[in-house]
Amino acid sequence: MSDSEKLAAAFRDFKESFFYGDRSNLNFKWLAHLEDSQAADFFQDLLDGIGTALDDDDLQNVVDIVNRWQAEGYRIQRDFDYDSGPFVRLEKSLAEARLTLLTSSGHFVDGDDPKPFGVENMSQAEAERRVLEFLKEQPVLSQIPMDIPAQDLRVRHGGYDIHGALADPNTAFPLYRLQEIADQGVIGGLSPLAYSFVGACSQKRLLKKDGLDWVERIKTQQTDAILLVPV
Amino acid sequence: MSVGHVARMLEEAAIPTVIIAAAAFRTRMEMMSLPRVLLTPNPMGRPIGAPGDVKGQTGVILAALDLLEHATESGSIEVYPHAYRSGA
Repeated sequence: MSDSEKLAAAFRDFKESFFYGDRSNLNFKWLAHLEDSQAADFFQDLLDGIGTALDDDDLQNVVDIVNRWQAEGYRIQRDFDYDSGPFVRLEKSLAEARLTLLTSSGHFVDGDDPKPFGVENMSQAEAERRVLEFLKEQPVLSQIPMDIPAQDLRVRHGGYDIHGALADPNTAFPLYRLQEIADQGVIGGLSPLAYSFVGACSQKRLLKKDGLDWVERIKTQQTDAILLVPV
Repeated sequence: MSVGHVARMLEEAAIPTVIIAAAAFRTRMEMMSLPRVLLTPNPMGRPIGAPGDVKGQTGVILAALDLLEHATESGSIEVYPHAYRSGA
């Protein structure tokens, strides 16, 4: 291997180490999906942005740089390319409609741990280490009362950085914002239960069985529409 | 992808849906031919908005509800116009 090949390999290892490697960082795991030259451009853009922010104190440009390259990291998708999709109109006005919240953020109620692989109180770190196992696992839909106190809400998900969700569940599981909107009369109401699951799961099982079962469960809530949030 | 599948199954069961997703997932959302999607310029894991940004989070949800009510066909994708932590 030539020196330039060694350098390229070292950079590739560095880039890929953010994807569940020794530099694992779920905010930046998409770096592994970028071409080497793109990853190099990202770091250059990021450092330029930080340098500018040192003087103008505006971090928005840094956020924009991260978002732009993150989108690049997720540009390629090979599976689940559908030509068309189902669509039904909302039959009522919003002010009359009852909504249900469903997210893939991995929230659950304290005392109702979905116990992945039979492990109770699994740490976030273990969930991240075992993310490839989660991707083969049957998904579990947790039900969460909409009036749950924030201190009784838990979140664990090996596929994304949960720090935002820990600081404020509304970032990914917006139950309190929805309650305020319902209280203002913008929507007719909310079903008493919201739902959440770990989106990093077996897509085959979700499609063949669990998703269909979930639809039947959700129907019992007599809801008019569902607000869905992926992470 | 998981949420996209659930949205398609719900619509097939005649329950309308709207998805709020980080704009990074635009390609995924487009390829899955989903009913209604609001894309937000927010980092992954914080699709509704930054922690504590009540105004921003509320604005995102209201935009999604507007899309829920007014979209007329599958594949309706809109982009939320206000930046992360913009205060709008």
